[in-house]
Amino acid sequence: MELLKTIFEVFMNTYPGFLEAMLITLQITAVALILGTVFGLMFALMKISRSRILQTIANVYITIIRGTPLIVQIMFLYFGITTLVVLSGFWAGAIALGIHNGAYIAEIFRGAIQGIDKGQREASSSLGMTRAQSMRRIVFPQALKRSIPPLGNQFIITLKDSSLVYIISVPELFAMANREAAQNFKSLETYLVVGGYYLVLVMIFTYLLRWYENKLDVDK
Amino acid sequence: MLKGSNIHKSFGDLEVLKGIDLEVAPSEVVVLVGVSGSGKSTLLRCFNFLEHINQGTIEIDGHEVNPKKDKLSKIRAEVGMVFQHFNLFPHMTVLENVIEAPIIVKKMKKEDAIVLGKQLLEKVGLSDKADVYPSKLSGGQKQRVAIARSLAMEPKVLLFDEPTSALDPELVGEVLEVMQQLALEGMTMIVVTHEMKFARNVANRIIMLDEGRIIESADPETFFGNPTHERTKQFIKLVD
Repeated sequence: MELLKTIFEVFMNTYPGFLEAMLITLQITAVALILGTVFGLMFALMKISRSRILQTIANVYITIIRGTPLIVQIMFLYFGITTLVVLSGFWAGAIALGIHNGAYIAEIFRGAIQGIDKGQREASSSLGMTRAQSMRRIVFPQALKRSIPPLGNQFIITLKDSSLVYIISVPELFAMANREAAQNFKSLETYLVVGGYYLVLVMIFTYLLRWYENKLDVDK
Repeated sequence: MLKGSNIHKSFGDLEVLKGIDLEVAPSEVVVLVGVSGSGKSTLLRCFNFLEHINQGTIEIDGHEVNPKKDKLSKIRAEVGMVFQHFNLFPHMTVLENVIEAPIIVKKMKKEDAIVLGKQLLEKVGLSDKADVYPSKLSGGQKQRVAIARSLAMEPKVLLFDEPTSALDPELVGEVLEVMQQLALEGMTMIVVTHEMKFARNVANRIIMLDEGRIIESADPETFFGNPTHERTKQFIKLVD
């Protein structure tokens, strides 16, 4: 009971700061997802292309990104790039998250594209479509739809992973929690509260995703 | 119309077609039969260049196709194919399935394509299903849509790869009826099928494949009444 009371106190004392920080979390997640989707599509296309060189580039990218911790990538980008161009923590973090997600999203897209029954390609070929036409008109629309559930999952992971950019001083939710906890000496309660923010965001997102999936299903 | 000479096709070490010579005349209906693994589906797929032959030549309308130089998409547009598993596009309505290739490949105007598409759907008896998605159709209806979709490209030859093998028995008739109608209208067709009644009634010629070779080629009456090859006799006993 005592704990609940302190949690509530901490919540009431911190929500102005947390709401502001939440906005930054959402912004950085949004930028990361847009970049990640663009990179993902690009590398998925390279991976299924018939060019050995493009395939190799995509494989190297995916291997390196999946094989190293996100926090290392964030640090590398922040300290690596800022020696060349001036980049705010926000943008360094968003780009790092985008590149990171690109590798996973590329695999999601590749899997979805290759999962489309080869009869679809054969049917479109037999009607005289070129490889590009059949990709654009027949395979992609179906693959995109099939990617939505795993993409949603990836989006949730990104939202939570964005907390790691606290390490380069981006004032997002987790960074804010650190700062508050250092001031109010109520670490347990503060981290419980910030966990609650993430939980609520994820639940809202999950709900929206389910609504969208149902809508797609009805349309078909 | 369509002529294959000395066609050889191997998958790895397995030689599936061992020198096939087959010429199909305009408006002719040729039925290919044979036990499973005899190479009949592979032969059909070679004619549509879904498989690349290892040796031999294929001529379409007197033009010898060179898969390296010719644009295969152009040639495939002239040779329609109906698949065992229909392969309709699930993300498009029935009408969209039919008009897709004319619009994308032939650059036909959408209004014109819709007129054509509706005519073809009427022909296969599915006018009322134009705006429905394929998932709502029975197997027989799906296959009739697939036929309409092939016809929309106005192919010179139509290839059927076991078009009724995936259907429930009660749905086979409606598809065969459409095919018979097409044959009557003079469509050139090569049909791989196990429907012997269809072969007997519709085919101009029945060809028996065995282990990658043509062992019998005759009109239906001779084929069923007086086959020369021992394997053909066995086959007819099995299916009749």
